[in-house]
Amino acid sequence: MYVLKDEQIKFILEDIRRNGIESEELQLSLLDHICCVIETEMLAESHFEEFYRSILPRFFKRDLREIQEETNLLLTFKNYYAMKKIMLNSGMFSAITFIIGAVLKVMHLPGASVFILLGIVSFCFLFLPLLSILRVKEQKETKDKVVIGIATVFGILISLATLFKVMHWPFANIMWMVSLGILFFLFLPVYFFTGIRNAETKINTIISSILILTAGGLLFTLTNLRTSRWTDESFYNSDDHLRDAALYASEQNQIAFSKDTLSLEAKTLHEKANALCTQIETLKTGLIAYSSHGEEGLTEAQLIRNYGSSLNFASDFLFDHNGKARKDLAQIKLDLADFNKYRESTLKQKPSNLLSLEDVYKFGEKEQGKITWEENNFSHLSIATTLRNFNQLLLNIRLVEASAY
Amino acid sequence: MYSSELIKGTLKTIILKLLSQNDKMYGYEITQKVKELTGGKIQLTEGALYPTLHAMEAQGILTTDVVNVGNRIRKYYSITQTGKKVASEKVNEFSEFIDTMIFLLDLKPKMG
Repeated sequence: MYVLKDEQIKFILEDIRRNGIESEELQLSLLDHICCVIETEMLAESHFEEFYRSILPRFFKRDLREIQEETNLLLTFKNYYAMKKIMLNSGMFSAITFIIGAVLKVMHLPGASVFILLGIVSFCFLFLPLLSILRVKEQKETKDKVVIGIATVFGILISLATLFKVMHWPFANIMWMVSLGILFFLFLPVYFFTGIRNAETKINTIISSILILTAGGLLFTLTNLRTSRWTDESFYNSDDHLRDAALYASEQNQIAFSKDTLSLEAKTLHEKANALCTQIETLKTGLIAYSSHGEEGLTEAQLIRNYGSSLNFASDFLFDHNGKARKDLAQIKLDLADFNKYRESTLKQKPSNLLSLEDVYKFGEKEQGKITWEENNFSHLSIATTLRNFNQLLLNIRLVEASAY
Repeated sequence: MYSSELIKGTLKTIILKLLSQNDKMYGYEITQKVKELTGGKIQLTEGALYPTLHAMEAQGILTTDVVNVGNRIRKYYSITQTGKKVASEKVNEFSEFIDTMIFLLDLKPKMG
């Protein structure tokens, strides 16, 4: 029996490595096997390297690398079943939780958000990625893998956009539009042009493309980035009425407080109310001018009808970049506090909820934490809502003031 | 010698049966044993043997034992309890397959 020398074993090992056997375990298994063959079959007078080269082709059809490839395939095949199982289970889980969530939401029952969140998150981060990986592995051509990849990104993004939209989280609209953009301008062209070139898939590709285009078009039609015209108009009308009511209350108070029978304290309160209302009107005029997009002489009614839904203008005008109320708004709050204090201490009147300046829960929900009076009424709201809240404040001041006569 | 196509489907069954009859075996030994038992009619190719051995090890059907032989390492394979169940399942399945094939191809089994 031929006995291999250390350097010969080293030579074989390096040759195995060079020929594409990457896993160390496989390298060692093959090394032992080749050594066994050489030791049993090689004659003492044979040349080692020549003999080695002559027996090597027994191990493969094309090249040695195929043993590594076959091993990898078999090893991933084991994961394949586990992945398939998780994929199917997560798919079932997300479908069931999503349906339960949707039904709860439609019926305005508690727990809807939790179910919808679980359903969409498991769909986006478990089911879709696993489905994509398994499908990509089945495809041989790169272009088909690319199509699956793009479809997965689209699927994840549009599902997350839906989740964000349902939860009223920020960036939902951007995600929605980006995912539709991916569908129309990336997925559809790639899918169409890769499928149409193949005679076998031509008809199916055309039909599927039409279906995708129609479904995408329907989603786009449903995309409603604004509230309806009807809702907007009813909101604007209610603001008009509020403004009229504040004006009427102000006129009535001017008449009522002009009577000589009223005490000096009551008249002082009236003056304070007048001063406050003037400050608020001045701030409103400033805000209207700031938000008019350069159009001069817009009335409040015109402004809210043209630019009522614009965000940021009111916040930028009333708050600094740290989110703190600017001077004029802060002064109004101080003067309102002074107005309340004067009413309660000098005129001995009960505090009124109408002019409460206390911190409140955000959206009325305890979990959201407390925010200040000025944040609640004037921060991160549309122009229309901000102006409406100012008008409500004007009316409330006049109503509270009226209690003094 | 049978074609590799025929052997491919039964490779796992052959290895498992062999390992359930022997305490532990290494790769080269398995090929030699099969060759000897079948009179050279079945020769396992290394290109199919090692990927299957590694996959069965990952699946927990086989366990391994590493021994230093002179100046290299030898990996001995032995069958686990799970592997024994798989082995008997595989053998039964193959036996039924043979019966079906005999019927399907209308073969007359050689008696005695």
